[in-house]
Amino acid sequence: MDTLGLLASILYQFGTNAAFLLLAAIGLVVILGMMNIINLAHGELMMMGAYIATIVTHRGIPFPLAVLLAFLLVAMFGAALERVIIRRFYGHELGALVVTWGISLIMGQGTLLFFGPFMPSIGIPGGSFSLGAYSFATYWIVLIGVSAILIAALWWIYQNTRFGLMARATMQKAAMAEALGVNTDRVYMLTFALGSGLAGACGALLAPTVSISPLMGQQFVAPAFITVVVGGAANVLLGAIGSSLLLSAVKTPVGLLFGAFIGTVALLLTALIIIRLMPNGVSFYLQRFTERRVGA
Amino acid sequence: MKMQPAISTVNLTKRFGGVIATDGVDLSVSSGEIRCIIGPNGAGKSTLFALLCGIHAPDGGEILLGGRDVTRLPAFRRVRLGLGLTFQTNRAYHNLTIAQNLEIARRRNSARVDSDALRRYQHAIGLFELDQLTDLPARALPHHQLQWLEIAMVLAGGPDVILLDEPTAGMSPEETMQTASVLRTLNGMGLTIVVVEHDIAFVREIAHRVTVLHEGRIFAEGSVAEITAHEDVRNIYLGRA
Amino acid sequence: MRLLHLVNGGEDLGRSRWFWIGFAAVILALVALPLYQTEFEASNASYYLLNIPLALGLSMLWGYCGILSFGQVAYFGIAGYAYGVIAGNLTETSWGPLVGSVGGLLLCAAVGAIFGYFVFFGRVQGWIVPILTLVFTLLLETFLGQTAGYQWRIGAVQLGGYNGMTGIPPFQIGNFIFQGYAFYFFALSLTVAVYFISRVLMNAHFGKIMIAIREDVLRTETLGYDVRFYQLGVFVLAAMLAGLSGLLYVQWGNYITPSQVGLLPAALPVIWVAVGGRNRLLAVAIATYLLNWINYTLSEAGNQYAPVIMGALLLLVMLFFPRGIIVAIAELRWPWRRDVTPVSVQDRSA
Repeated sequence: MDTLGLLASILYQFGTNAAFLLLAAIGLVVILGMMNIINLAHGELMMMGAYIATIVTHRGIPFPLAVLLAFLLVAMFGAALERVIIRRFYGHELGALVVTWGISLIMGQGTLLFFGPFMPSIGIPGGSFSLGAYSFATYWIVLIGVSAILIAALWWIYQNTRFGLMARATMQKAAMAEALGVNTDRVYMLTFALGSGLAGACGALLAPTVSISPLMGQQFVAPAFITVVVGGAANVLLGAIGSSLLLSAVKTPVGLLFGAFIGTVALLLTALIIIRLMPNGVSFYLQRFTERRVGA
Repeated sequence: MKMQPAISTVNLTKRFGGVIATDGVDLSVSSGEIRCIIGPNGAGKSTLFALLCGIHAPDGGEILLGGRDVTRLPAFRRVRLGLGLTFQTNRAYHNLTIAQNLEIARRRNSARVDSDALRRYQHAIGLFELDQLTDLPARALPHHQLQWLEIAMVLAGGPDVILLDEPTAGMSPEETMQTASVLRTLNGMGLTIVVVEHDIAFVREIAHRVTVLHEGRIFAEGSVAEITAHEDVRNIYLGRA
Repeated sequence: MRLLHLVNGGEDLGRSRWFWIGFAAVILALVALPLYQTEFEASNASYYLLNIPLALGLSMLWGYCGILSFGQVAYFGIAGYAYGVIAGNLTETSWGPLVGSVGGLLLCAAVGAIFGYFVFFGRVQGWIVPILTLVFTLLLETFLGQTAGYQWRIGAVQLGGYNGMTGIPPFQIGNFIFQGYAFYFFALSLTVAVYFISRVLMNAHFGKIMIAIREDVLRTETLGYDVRFYQLGVFVLAAMLAGLSGLLYVQWGNYITPSQVGLLPAALPVIWVAVGGRNRLLAVAIATYLLNWINYTLSEAGNQYAPVIMGALLLLVMLFFPRGIIVAIAELRWPWRRDVTPVSVQDRSA
């Protein structure tokens, strides 16, 4: 009789795993798609967003506003990083990787020195409800919805706004876009800011679900990177969707049977197998699929 | 006993997304021939070379090197079987010296390089003036000599067939003719050459046969005289076909 | 005299007679160290030295072949733990440590080969390797961290969870146990040997292929090289060198914890290699020794800023000294070498 509850629970686990992966990766994905750079400070940007939201919430600001604030502040920080450091490494992907790792070290260890090892966390907003023997947190349902909305919003931005048009042009052929009058410098900065802001916002959104500490970014790094590797760079939004769904389909059953850690290990193994079979990630095939449908 | 063509394809096809880049190409280059491949931009010439060399896998058809099916073989294996390729944008190692470039090109297992191929290589080095100033970084070379360096590198591996993708692009008329002369000499020493070229003077100078590619298909094939007199060929270049 | 040519090939710093005289002087000073330093100080010097193989491996992998790995410390840990398990279980025999060392190296080679197979035979894009190697080492740390219970033991040896494995036997051959000054000489000789072998390797044809792959994978492939095979080869080599450092570490300190494969230790080899000059082995060796010495001196003085300083140093180097600080200093002294990549002596056959 409890099969409804069981089914709902499995679906719920699937959804939360996918949402977690998507939220962990989305900031990274935006930057990767534009500049072909993996921002290794991504985890620390999420941590920064989590810290901002936590501090601000403890002072009484309502949580949604805290998330927005996290987005804005981390976006500005990201823009500054891009201006001062990152832009010197375009065309040198590995150099960008190393330099963002240096930034991540400074941010993580710096936060440890400044704030100490602990920070009181925020409780999960909303309550929970049950179906049979299984309970579900309302907040995670919200997060699933938010991640879907976020992807849809990004899609809309890239397809329907002026910025999106300039961004897509720059992604395809930067020199050409520049020749046509697109301020590619500005596009890169805004994209990095957007990716950073998203990282901050997602860090804030996920903050109630994890414990807050200076090195908390680390727990997002492995899932985010795996999601990005499996997704590939051919079409980052499609890749992020496909990848998080695929990986969640692996993690949910494995995690349920063997525990969360083995679930993450299974993700790494999946990534290794996928890159062996599909070196350009799932986005490459998803893109070809949609192109065929559209009859390009 | 008929000799196998040096390199040939059977119904070779390649698609990229919705675009058919190579459309059922049946190419056959005889041993000792110099074949020029011409065609308007976007005709699929570089894609054809990439398929022949193994950089892309075809969607259909076969590729044969000296009669041997190499369709499933990765690029490095085809090179070891006697194929060489230069790229449309020069791919010598620009940051390394000429000496280092040539040393890398002369693979360790060059026990396999037969004496004919070795003579061709040494001859090319002399004619291309690459035996002096070998400590120079490759990027210090003038453009035409950089192109020659890449050709010499390819010859170092001792190939029987080489594919040259627009080797004289950016060269002056004198340098172009000099290149043609060297290639003719090497051909006389037993090298089969397939060249993609736009320069009609160069084609006239060296080609035994010409293949015209258009929209991924072989549009026409024949001697230089036949092709240059062919009105439809002129039309496709002018965009009328 | 082919070996002499290979040693002086040009893919590393220094070839002149004066250089070798200076080099010999430094080695002499290191060998004579027990004369002017206490056993404790020699033990510290051992620690600075034993990290050098790890750095040299990363240098060959990244500097010469263009493959960036953020997870070399994973092999450091794998070898260390493997040695601890094997030697810890073979305490009755005096061959335990030797077997453990060989076992550690073989395990590193095996894991590196499997991991490398998936990565290189898939011909993935450049940024995937650093990401996946980082993920691997983080997962390894998490795994080792949760091995605290009594059930987590192999034979008689506890894995120990976050507290790590203690009581790891020192290295011994026959009845001779390497400790104190003896261990120092052991580490010194191994390090110098590894350095010379690496130097010869990079000056030989193998090194040229590494550089060719770094410069242009497609061109190298179309010159007839199986690039995947060479990438796998240097990856396994680097894994084994990292493992060698791990072995020396546990033989030096007799303990190992999961934090040795964590995020901060993972960053350190990249910093040493970047600060030295990633495509110059000697620069990397010098930088590794010096930075470890600085790190130790800082933390001994109670300075908690060491990690932040390391991060800042990395940033500084990447922004202003992309070829490495040690290399920049070396090139100041011999400025005419700056533009041209040094030519290999072997080609001057005439």
